[in-house]
Amino acid sequence: MLANIRHLGQYGIDLLTALGRAGSIWWQAIWRRPRLANAHLVFRQIYQLGVLSVVITVLSGFSIGAVLALQGYNQLVNYGSESALGLGVALVLVMEIGPVVSGLLFAGRAGSAVTAEIGLMKATEQLSSMEMIGVDPLQRIVAPRLWAGFISMPILALMFSVVGIWGSSLIGVDWLGVYEGAFWSTMQDGVDFHSHVLKGIIKSVVFGLVVTWIAVYQGYEAEPSSEGISRATTRTVVHSSVAVLVLDFFLTLVMFNF
Amino acid sequence: MNNDVNNATEDHITISDVVFSRGRRRIFDGISLQVPRGKIVGIMGPSGTGKTTLLRLIGGQLRPERGIVEVDGRRIPQLSRKELFDVRKSMGMLFQSGALFTDLSVFDNVAFPLRVHTDLPDDMIRDLVLIKLQSVGLRGASELFPGELSGGMNRRVALARAIALDPRLIMYDEPFAGLDPIALGVVVQLIKTLNHVFGMTSIIVSHDIHETASIADLIYVISDGKVIGSGAPQELFKEDSPRIQQFIKGLPDGPVPFHYPATDFRDQLLNRDISNHSVFR
Repeated sequence: MLANIRHLGQYGIDLLTALGRAGSIWWQAIWRRPRLANAHLVFRQIYQLGVLSVVITVLSGFSIGAVLALQGYNQLVNYGSESALGLGVALVLVMEIGPVVSGLLFAGRAGSAVTAEIGLMKATEQLSSMEMIGVDPLQRIVAPRLWAGFISMPILALMFSVVGIWGSSLIGVDWLGVYEGAFWSTMQDGVDFHSHVLKGIIKSVVFGLVVTWIAVYQGYEAEPSSEGISRATTRTVVHSSVAVLVLDFFLTLVMFNF
Repeated sequence: MNNDVNNATEDHITISDVVFSRGRRRIFDGISLQVPRGKIVGIMGPSGTGKTTLLRLIGGQLRPERGIVEVDGRRIPQLSRKELFDVRKSMGMLFQSGALFTDLSVFDNVAFPLRVHTDLPDDMIRDLVLIKLQSVGLRGASELFPGELSGGMNRRVALARAIALDPRLIMYDEPFAGLDPIALGVVVQLIKTLNHVFGMTSIIVSHDIHETASIADLIYVISDGKVIGSGAPQELFKEDSPRIQQFIKGLPDGPVPFHYPATDFRDQLLNRDISNHSVFR
């Protein structure tokens, strides 16, 4: 009994310590005046994290849009309201599935890569040697990745939604024969920039931040061994996936006035 | 320059009464030593005595629990993060693994400190990098990547990078470990030359007695968190302390036991409880 309480207490302390360390890494990397001289590093990371994630994002967006069209049509056609297909698909993609699924993909594709890279740099003493050269790895390695995640994620989420809508129109309009005018005009009427699209973008910005934050933290604090790095990489994917899903719930709760 | 004032002091580094622990293990228990300016100082001792930890304390990567670590008259643990990074510009450190940046070529690795800390034009950086690479004999390898180099070459490039900013202090972490005899000779010669030509204070952390003794002006032997002997190499060889003799002569057993603490051997062999030794544990 006493041992259980002790374990619980230890767990709590460890959790708070981890949060504190993660917070301090974030604080030191981002809030200490970003240097313009490091802009090229940010661009490079936007390529590594963002551009290289485009293919998987686009493919997934297309598939999910197509599936939504198939299933949505099946249900809507029973009520003769298949013309609302465009509206339904667009809302679901822009507000929920776009940010969430691209966030999950980003965690798997880019987050794991960031953790493994930083973890290996730590294990091979590259971070130490950078410190001894008088360059702060938080500024040079961590900060550009955080910024890149923050910038790339909303763009990826938008891409996901746009390609998804295109996929659903291919299936819905061109294949299943939904009237094209209705498909697009219901979408145009029903989707509002401020109340739908912007909220989706805000979600994806938060996800981008949280996923890269978890990824750099796990890499930076990884135990410098092969086992440690593999554990850290796994943790990045697990933690950031859970974080995306849980945060999505709360963001929806707050932003959509429930 | 505020450093000119400090240059007058005799000791480049002063460590006094430093206590440091990792977890429950006490690494240093009130260690004190001085590194005179412009000399080659060897820090020796068995593996696991915290020699590398000592370098990290000097470089400010670790903070002692107690005691003073002073470099050029500045107390390292008391410095702010920014001041610390400034001080490190005048230190070079050679890591055992080399620790080259694997995404940069040899040239860019050596150019890295120059690019981040100076505003020199590109052609001047190029010349400086080529000079540094020439001094370690690897100018021809400037376009290669760290993955394409042997261990010894890696360490030489790392050395060129460590001296890129002409530091006043350079720390070598196990510079001789794992080198073939030729590479070993090269590195020994390089350390000596750098010290003589540029007057860099050099600290060599090593357990290779002969190589270190051949170039060091002063040697400290560390064991159990304390300095157990110090002096010029020749004096140290004459020292009659059994601990120092065991280390210098490389005797397997002595005050430093060969065996890690364990239960009685006979008891363990006869007690056929294999659960503790299963590979699947």
